[in-house]
Amino acid sequence: MSAVTAEPAARDWRQALVERPAIALTGVLLVLYLVTATQAPGMLTLNGIRSTLLLACPLAVLAASQTLCMLTGGIDLSTVMTANFAAYVAANQSGRGPVVALGLALAVGLAVGTVNGIGVGVFKVNPLIMTLGMASVLLGVVTVGLVGDGFLSGSTRLLPVLRTVASGTLVGPIPTNMVVWALLAAGLIFGLSRTGLGRAVYAVGDNPVACRLAGVRIWQVLFAVYLLSAVLAALGGLLFSGISGSVGPDQTNAYLLPSVAAAVIGGTSILGGVGGYTGTILGALILTVLNRLLLALDTTEAFRQILYGLIVLALAWVYVRVTGQRGS
Amino acid sequence: MTTAPQPVAATPLPRPSSRANRFRRRQGWVVGVAVLLGALVFWRYSQIPAFGPFEVRGIVAGTMTLALLAMAQSVIVISGGIDLSVGAMMVLANCIAARLMLDQDLGPVVLVALGVVAVAMLLSGLIGLVTVVSGVPDIVVTLAASFILAGLALVVLDGPGGGTHPRFQELMVGGFDQPLPSLLWLTGLLALVWVPFKRSRLGIATYAVGSDRAAAFLSGVRVGRTRVVAYVLGGFFSGMAGVVTTAFTGSGEPRASIGATATLTSVAAVVLGGVALMGGSGTLLGPVLAAFCLSLIPPLMLGLGWDPNYAEVARGIIIIVVVMIGGLVQVPRRSR
Repeated sequence: MSAVTAEPAARDWRQALVERPAIALTGVLLVLYLVTATQAPGMLTLNGIRSTLLLACPLAVLAASQTLCMLTGGIDLSTVMTANFAAYVAANQSGRGPVVALGLALAVGLAVGTVNGIGVGVFKVNPLIMTLGMASVLLGVVTVGLVGDGFLSGSTRLLPVLRTVASGTLVGPIPTNMVVWALLAAGLIFGLSRTGLGRAVYAVGDNPVACRLAGVRIWQVLFAVYLLSAVLAALGGLLFSGISGSVGPDQTNAYLLPSVAAAVIGGTSILGGVGGYTGTILGALILTVLNRLLLALDTTEAFRQILYGLIVLALAWVYVRVTGQRGS
Repeated sequence: MTTAPQPVAATPLPRPSSRANRFRRRQGWVVGVAVLLGALVFWRYSQIPAFGPFEVRGIVAGTMTLALLAMAQSVIVISGGIDLSVGAMMVLANCIAARLMLDQDLGPVVLVALGVVAVAMLLSGLIGLVTVVSGVPDIVVTLAASFILAGLALVVLDGPGGGTHPRFQELMVGGFDQPLPSLLWLTGLLALVWVPFKRSRLGIATYAVGSDRAAAFLSGVRVGRTRVVAYVLGGFFSGMAGVVTTAFTGSGEPRASIGATATLTSVAAVVLGGVALMGGSGTLLGPVLAAFCLSLIPPLMLGLGWDPNYAEVARGIIIIVVVMIGGLVQVPRRSR
């Protein structure tokens, strides 16, 4: 291979990938989908496409909160606990009508987000610690609430509307939860690229010192990001409970790594300032198909976990290698 | 009208800080945690009518795993990284040890323990190597690694099981009312592994790399090698944590959630123990003391007649509040 002539071509190729990660990711997704189809022929039917989209939705919503936090150089480890808690509250209050129940569930998100936002934005607590501590607090609250006749021990009946929205079918292979997902994706992609707050999110992640000197009120940006992150987490929890048809104190915990991984695979840097939600959508789809492939392979749970970890690692490695987006 | 020229203020010479000042700056936090621990132990002491060796043994042996994990996490955090797989590593070590130690004599059991620690060092070093070589952020690598390690633990042991030698249990965590072995192990590891390491060239390099990677590189420190070494040492401590768990419970338990919770608590102990997450500062004594503080919370709550499940809430709030206070205290000293 002649390095001299290959060099510019390789750089163009890489440049294109850095600027448009969506192209390469779509390719990976298609290849992975076809490979999976060889193991699980059902994937090629309309129903197969529908179930992939259906299952990818809650992951993509949870990954949206990671994407937002990661763009500012943070991370939100409390998302899954917020999601569990919100889903529980919605099921508990389902007797009081969908408006009250969903309102209270989103209020959980708002409350968690406010505390996280104040901690990270105003008190400048390291996001990892802040959200870790918050996850611990929420775990305790949920555990206590479930014991005996605690405040969460009421009904666990799902809201009918949640069931319809989260697991119904809109038309053909499009599940109903795609409506929520599409609205949210459009809002996030537009918001991040076209609004002042969105640009500030990138700026804060890229260089907080320069931001402060330029007059950006960093605490407000961080507050907004963590507030939104927790609300998205609550929404993700509601959507997940609609699919699973039940609530549980740890039902979305297995989504923590995938939600971070979806954002990383989608090209969002955990160091902040680089990335976006388009990539995360593809990342979430890739991970969902990967999960399906691993299920189709006739192996044990243990082996599936090992493979999953290895593939996530490999994807992240390849991505970082190709785009030259290395950790400091 | 003539005005006398203003006397030029002489630039004050930087005054060398006194010994007491240096001690306060370097060890102040650790002393604070030690005082807190003393207060908590005294509180627990006043709660139980007959506070004796049995209770002390229970506290010390029950905290050993967490203290070792806090040490593992600290070394890696000091080197400027973070390892979200220490808990899973502990679970894997526990499962390997319990499976191989079942129905063995003391000799082979000790050999297995040594082998398990070696395997943990190797795996952790591999994780460090992948982090350094790939350039993928350490949070992502170690999160993925925690999945892989938890899967491996399930391969080794598909459910609770395994066993160990009773004599080995006594050697590691002491008998019914014998707190000495656990205390000796912890102080021994701190004094014979950590202190020599900290004072060696590698240890100083670890602090340098954690403090400022670029500056360390420019001063001739081999950054990549130093970071991998930190992971190897971290693996040593998490492997030890797995062996101790085997001795304490007398069996192996491959449940992944145990590892996840343990990892989170180890990060909490590190932060409480005064090791800055930015790296490059802190010692291992603080996190060990902090681990004891954290594991005293549930029994204290039980003693108060509260639901011990609130301990999780208390833990979370303590972590956040401590970091907030620490941030407020540290802000004037170094503005970042």
